[in-house]
Formats: sequence, C-alpha cells, structure tokens
Amino acid sequence: MHSKKSFTDLFPFSRRDLLVTAGILACTIALCIFIRMAGGLEGFTSPVFVLAVLLISRLTTGYFYGLLSVVLGVVCVNFIFTRPYWAFNLTNPGYPITFFILLMVSIVTCSLTAQAKQQAHLLAENERVKMRANLLRSVSHDIRTPLTSIVGSTSAILENPNLSQAEQRALLENAREEAQWLIRVVENLLSVTRIGDAQAQITKEPEAAEEVLGGAVQKFRRRFPNITVTVSVPEEVLLVPMDPILIEQVLSNLLENAAVHGGTTTRIQLSLEREDGFARVCVRDNGQGIPQKELPGLFDETRKPTSASHGDGKRNMGLGLSVCRAVVGAHGGTMEAKNLEEGAEFSFRLPLYEEVHEDADPGKSLSN
Amino acid sequence: MQIREKVLVIEDEKTIAQFIAAILSGSGYEALQARTGSEALSMISSHCPDLVILDLGLPDMDGMDILRQLRSWSSLPVVVVSARSHERDKVTALDLGADDYLTKPFGTDELLARVRTAIRHTRTASGNDEIAQKGTYTVGEMMIDYNKHQVLVRGENVKLTLSEFRIVALLGKHAGKVLTYDFIIKELWGPRAGGGNQILRVNMANIRRKIEKNPAEPEYLFTEVGVGYRLAEGD
Repeated sequence: MHSKKSFTDLFPFSRRDLLVTAGILACTIALCIFIRMAGGLEGFTSPVFVLAVLLISRLTTGYFYGLLSVVLGVVCVNFIFTRPYWAFNLTNPGYPITFFILLMVSIVTCSLTAQAKQQAHLLAENERVKMRANLLRSVSHDIRTPLTSIVGSTSAILENPNLSQAEQRALLENAREEAQWLIRVVENLLSVTRIGDAQAQITKEPEAAEEVLGGAVQKFRRRFPNITVTVSVPEEVLLVPMDPILIEQVLSNLLENAAVHGGTTTRIQLSLEREDGFARVCVRDNGQGIPQKELPGLFDETRKPTSASHGDGKRNMGLGLSVCRAVVGAHGGTMEAKNLEEGAEFSFRLPLYEEVHEDADPGKSLSN
Repeated sequence: MQIREKVLVIEDEKTIAQFIAAILSGSGYEALQARTGSEALSMISSHCPDLVILDLGLPDMDGMDILRQLRSWSSLPVVVVSARSHERDKVTALDLGADDYLTKPFGTDELLARVRTAIRHTRTASGNDEIAQKGTYTVGEMMIDYNKHQVLVRGENVKLTLSEFRIVALLGKHAGKVLTYDFIIKELWGPRAGGGNQILRVNMANIRRKIEKNPAEPEYLFTEVGVGYRLAEGD
C-alpha cells in the first residue's frame, strides 16, 4: 500500500468532478435563494451547505473538490445568505464555526470515501489473486504428470542400455506425446495472457472466418491423423471481427476436446454459418458425449477443474474450455454445449459487426 | 562425395540448437551453430553458409538487427524462428527480407520443408524456373498462365477477375513462401492503399471458391493465420 501520496493523487483534475462540484453548488445556492424568497427564513443555509459539502466530498475523488466546496460554501453563506446580503461580514461570530464545521465534514467524508474505494479495490485484487492461484494450482497439477512421465521415460532409456529397440521407441513416443500435450497447455496459458485482465481490449480485425477454420483443421489433422474431420462453410464470405490467433486457439481446443474427451470419437464435423448478426461455429463429434453431471456450468469460470485423478487417464478439460469461454466472451460472443443423440456439440457465436458500445461485462453474455 | 549444403543455426538455447543441428545433419546438411549474434555474423562471413536459421530472441543482439545487417550486403536465405504469440515479429522479419519462418514449437517435417524451400529459392535466382522458361506455374492440378493471364484448374479456365489473377500470380512467383498481407496489398494496390485488408480477404475467399474444392480446406492457397498467404509449391 502506498502511504505517501503524490500531489496529483490528492488534487486530481477531472472534468467530471469539477462538473459535479459546480452542479451541486449551483443547486444548493438555488435552493437557498428559493427558500429565502419563499419564507424569508434565516439560519437554514449552513446545514444545507453542510449537506452540499458532504455530497461533493462523497462523489468526487480525493480531497481537492471537497475542500474547494468548503471555501466556496463559506463564501456563499457569508456573502449571499448572511446579513448584510451581497457583502462580506467577517465580524459575524458564527462565521469561523461554519467554516470549521464544513471543513471537518469535508475531510471526514473524503477520507471515508477514499477508504471505501480502497477497500473495494483490495477486494477486487483479492478476488483476482485467488483466481490466479486457482488457475496456477490447476495448471501445475496438469503439468506435473506429463513432466514426471517425460523425465521417467527418458531416464529409463538413458539408464538401461539393455532395453530393446521397441521398448526404447515406446518410451520415447510416450515422452513426445506428453511434451506435445504440455505445449498445448502452455499455448492456452499464453492465450490467457493475451486476453489479459477482464477489461483489457483485444485487437480485432475483420478476418475471413473460413481461413481460421482451415488453419485450425490443418493443425488438428497433423496431430490426430486417424480422426476424419469435415468442414463446411457457406457460399457467402463471412468477415468476422476477431483476433485470429485467439479464435484459432478456441477451435483447436474444441477439436481436441472432441477427440480426447469424446473417448470414442472417429468423426468430427466443423461447420460455419450465418445466424442473424452472428457467425456460428459448430463442432460436432460422434464420441461418448459430455457426462450429464458436468454439463451444467461447463463454461463456469468458478468451476473447480475436474481433477485428472479420475482414474480414467483423461485429462482435465477445464483449462481449455475456460480459455474458449474467455476468448469468445472477450469477442462479445456466446458459447454453448449440448449432447447429441450420438456425441457432443460445442458451438460459439461471434458478432459479425463491431458493437457500437462496449459490453462492460463479457461474462454476462454467456449462456450455459 | 557430394558437397553438402551448409546451414548455420543461430540459437542461444543449446538444447534447441542441438536438436535442430541433429535433424539437419540427419537429412544430409552440414549444420553449424552460433550462440550469439556477433558470433553468427562472423561465422556468416567466414563460412558462407547456404542458409541461416535465426532465432529472433538472442542474448546479445536483436535478431531483427542481424537480419537488417545481413540484408544490407547479402541475399542469403534466412528462416527465422519465433514464438507463437509474437506474430507481429514474424511479419516484421518477413518484411525485412526473411525468407520464411518457423513457429516454436515446430516439428521435424516443418523444419525440413522450410529449409528445402528456402534453399531451392536461391538456386532459381529470381523466383521460379518454370515461370522464366515457359511463362507458367504448375502445382497439382492448377496452372497459372502468365502470358494469357489465366488460371487453369484441371485444364479449365476458372475465370478470375483481374485483381484475383494478380494475387494468384504474385503468390505463384513466390510459391512456397509466405507473403505478408501488407506485402501483397502494397504490390497490388500501392503503398497508400487504405483498408486493403478486407479487400484482400474477400478477394482471397472468392479465389478459393473458384480454385479449391472446399474453401475451408485449401490444397493450394494456404493461410498463415495472422501473417499472410502461401501458395503450395510444385515439385
């Protein structure tokens, strides 16, 4: 925490704060003039200004506007609303008291406001730290198993010169497969850093969606030559504003999930179509489908990663899917998953046109 | 004994340099290694390699600087190696005159394919042999006829528009090589073409619809996502 605050922290210039201050003061003065004209009462001005100072201190950042309103308030009370009207009267005994009260109100409110803001900030920071820790934990867990296997396989070869060629080969293939899996984990992590913090903007450019589909499929085939993939795209060219590297990652994750978690998958259909103002991409496989108990909240960020220790040797698909979710969300799109008669279907929609206003919370547009 | 082509591997990570060198020597190349930029530059002038594989992240020098220095006096083919998340770097390197790139992590096949292509390109001095001799370029069932300004697929004219033909023609002259989006746009519509990106995407999509069986599974016109386009190389 910063105990020393810079000058600009204490007295930040902001047009918004200036307008708030001016607005509230103008209303207060108008109110006071109105009350005086209506009833000719006196002595009500000080409390009204106390309220004004309190509001200004609460609604602006730092101490500057609060203190400014104190000075202006005192001047107003003295100059406009205390006899003699429209003249300064510094002999009035109430004057220093008014000044003092307004000053205290402002300082106390400002410091309370600052405290509250800091607390909210800390809370958000805590939340982020916790999320990062969760992610790290799940990733570390995911990484440890393949690393153990790589070190084990290679050590076995190095330390046992008598292994047959076939045995050596099997161990090396093992190591390579595990290493390739690690690469995919790291690529997903890189995607996460590319999206960055929730509010960060990704750079979108209109890309031909079919090209990105083609790229992902080409890479997938190299990895899983035994699975048949068919791709269908519309006759019309769909230009979708996107970060193509991230969307390619989403497609790779979905294809790979279909292959790995589908269990018995032999065919995958990838399709692209226009749907209202969206481009819809669909990945269908003929595998075992998504376990019913996993289906609800599959894209939930707070979902605990299903651990790899299920005993079925299948790996956690938490990271891959949460990256998909985050990427699609950052594009203002939505994601869906459902079981088909045979196999599962994952799909996402991306808006075809840039939104005029930015969606404040991309997570909200997410459907389960 | 035949003379083996020399490949200089400029890479600071010993393990990576070693495995690249192992793959290269296994495939009949002579592999040299340099760990730093300065070592690399002196080795290039003393050993005269046929190809350089350059990692962009070196400890002592920026890979781009090496490329720039090299390009000021030599057209020696260079394949740059960079990480996936830095596609901006790849584009910059290609625009600076690199011949091709590899994305870490890459496989053996990819490495060898890039090396072969890059070396072949230097042998056929300016672009493509077939184009120089016959005015055509053939790959698979597709033929670009530079004299008649036509592209034929299985012997049939696919009737490209002028812009479409110019894109294919340009890719054909550099077949096997990635051309960045910017490069293509500048070549076709001049350096000040604005918003060319979308025009290029749409043109390319239309070309694919005329040439490829399935535009999403191209056999000839490949997309390098985030970087550019590449035309398949004929044998």
